[in-house]
Amino acid sequence: MTRLSIRGVGVVGGFGCGLEAFDRALVSGVASTMQVTPVPGNESVLRSAFLADTAPLEEFLNKRALRRIDHFSRLALLGSHLALQDAGMLGAIPERVGLVIASGYGALRTTFSFLDSIIEDGDSCASPTHFSNSVHNAAAAHVAIKLNIGGPNLTVSQFEMSVSSALLTAQLWLEEGRVDHVVFGGVDEYSAVLGYCWERFLGSESTEEMAPFDLARQTALVGEGSAFFVLSREETASPYGAIDRVSLGHLSGGLPILPKDPVYILGADGHRQCSAKYPELVPQGASVASYAPLYGSLPVGQAFDLAAAALAMRDGRLCATPGHVAEETDWQIVGTEELGQRDICCLKMDDNGGYGFLTVTKGRG
Amino acid sequence: MSGPSPVAVTGVGCLCAAGANLAACMESLFKERRHPAPPSRFETEHAIRYPVFEVSEGFFPPELPEDGQLLRTSRLALAATLEALHDADWNPEDLKGLRVGVCIGTTVGSAMNSEEFYRDYRSGKRPEMTPIERFLRSNPAASVARYFGLSGPVQTVVNACSSGTDALGLAASWVRNGLCDVALAGGADELTRVTYNGFASLMIADAEPVRPFDLSRRGLNLGEGAGMLVLESEKIQQVRKAKIRSHLLGYGSACDAYHLTAPSPDGSGLIRALDEAMQSSGCRSEDIAFVNAHGTGTPDNDRVESTVLGKVLPRTPFLSTKGFTGHTLGAAGALEAAFTIACLEAGRIPASAGFSKPDPVFPIHPVTREVAIEGRAALSQSLAFGGNNAVVIFGKEGPQ
Repeated sequence: MTRLSIRGVGVVGGFGCGLEAFDRALVSGVASTMQVTPVPGNESVLRSAFLADTAPLEEFLNKRALRRIDHFSRLALLGSHLALQDAGMLGAIPERVGLVIASGYGALRTTFSFLDSIIEDGDSCASPTHFSNSVHNAAAAHVAIKLNIGGPNLTVSQFEMSVSSALLTAQLWLEEGRVDHVVFGGVDEYSAVLGYCWERFLGSESTEEMAPFDLARQTALVGEGSAFFVLSREETASPYGAIDRVSLGHLSGGLPILPKDPVYILGADGHRQCSAKYPELVPQGASVASYAPLYGSLPVGQAFDLAAAALAMRDGRLCATPGHVAEETDWQIVGTEELGQRDICCLKMDDNGGYGFLTVTKGRG
Repeated sequence: MSGPSPVAVTGVGCLCAAGANLAACMESLFKERRHPAPPSRFETEHAIRYPVFEVSEGFFPPELPEDGQLLRTSRLALAATLEALHDADWNPEDLKGLRVGVCIGTTVGSAMNSEEFYRDYRSGKRPEMTPIERFLRSNPAASVARYFGLSGPVQTVVNACSSGTDALGLAASWVRNGLCDVALAGGADELTRVTYNGFASLMIADAEPVRPFDLSRRGLNLGEGAGMLVLESEKIQQVRKAKIRSHLLGYGSACDAYHLTAPSPDGSGLIRALDEAMQSSGCRSEDIAFVNAHGTGTPDNDRVESTVLGKVLPRTPFLSTKGFTGHTLGAAGALEAAFTIACLEAGRIPASAGFSKPDPVFPIHPVTREVAIEGRAALSQSLAFGGNNAVVIFGKEGPQ
């Protein structure tokens, strides 16, 4: 299958905006959180969340162009512009470009804003702007319009498996020659209702520090943001490396063949039910990292894992797993160390036994 | 492009307001029976009771999970899948040892928009999480994979109204490239108060039964349903020697990159999607027996489709089947693919329901009566919010 050369990376999240901010967070192991109030009418219940600021989007698009574009789509627009800028393609986007976006929940805030308009103004006065922007592919539409990407356009929503599933399609598009480049990204946003859901599901086990490798503990903190990439067939080596293999399936079909002795960047993000599944796939003694404590828990967290892998390839070094690290584990928790010749496997598992992984290797050519 | 590489379709299943299965739907289409009516499952405050096309509760197979366990969208997908697997002569148990992927298009099935839950949340109550848990259990592709115990790739396509068509084209690519032995692919969507209010707010809902391509058209009627196909690899075909109903010959998709809700007036994205589908199918225009158009009945959509078909396939008969089903959103492309296959098999297409008076600015018009068709292939196309355009081409036989 075609190797996907990573030509550009654009990220925005709780750690800030852009690769430099992300790199600083990876090196320092620190990203700041904000406080949210997940219980309506009760300001005393506060939870930490990794929230993203889209103000830097005005570097690319003026306020008028952003009128009526919601936070979810702004996250996607910012991530995609940053990735194309990093790839040197902004303003010179070639023909035969496709766009693939993964999202676990879509435009949550606008989904509920539309319901607000029904409840407050009545069925006959519901907001058409909110309705049209609440559709899951609204972000992909705005990105295509602003960047004039007229090729195939796809949005995938598969909860935790969204990134692996969508990436599979990006790879096939390049494999079949449908396009020469794919702008690929994952995006999810925080909303007050999501915060409420978290509180109801997890509130009694709330935490202030994520500990991804305390697999038996619930330590997830909610996050939002977007991570975008420009992917191309590998003709020359990219410093970010290339995605060699994408696979997703279910453990009921048997254990998949994983790459040999890679560094694993696990999608373990403090959700106990999902985290408990990783030992079923990741062998004892494996080198593992998780960078979720820098961007929080969100369905498309694997896109941020991929960005961390791309930076590790570029710099030839791995950053230490941030946050609280369990002392007792069957794995080798990655510290600040040389990457060497190792590949990186970004693995995500859900609480049902679904898995999705992608392998990042050094660039060739 | 990799060139023509057809994928076998061995099973077809669907349900919508026109019928509980493909045979019942086709009977309705050819007998020109349609029953739009105001919604029965919910109330609204609209002065106009826009007609819709609802699926009767009696259309669901009795073995499906009860309504409270899964969203209706997933139940629709499961019902269509059961029929498709039966049609393909698959015992679902036999699929468990194979690499079987599931690719389903939807809109409502992926939206966390339980109105009842949100009203309680807004009013300061602490609503129970039952609707959210149901939503989290009901990702359409995951629901189908879980129900049948499948372990291959899963993908829920949320490309608005082209989702079903896209899901078919993408799943064919999975099979063609060896990602799975069998793919269950299609689309599913339920009718809800939220989407009803949404389309009313856009002022593109017709107060009368929908009239695609007619001079008097005023918009769409919403519907609900699901369509699912069984796609199989050559390897599996050689082992099973199952009856092949059709071949998915080609797929193309492109984005207008023009407007969030309106199609590009020149149809540039649709033209690119058609070009790609024709090229990948290896078909020439004379091979296309008919076109199952998107034909929503909205002024903009129908104008663009007629304009583009007038340029690309000016002598090919076309119809819209939404006069029988309503606009089933993410299910539409898959339902229409099922109808396309059945019409190709039957060698005839029904009248385009709701069309009687030609729009003089349109270069070509849909069929007004049942028509015998000639040609080895047929084409189904979908246009969507976000400027998405998707086209699939089915053929009676494999490569020529």
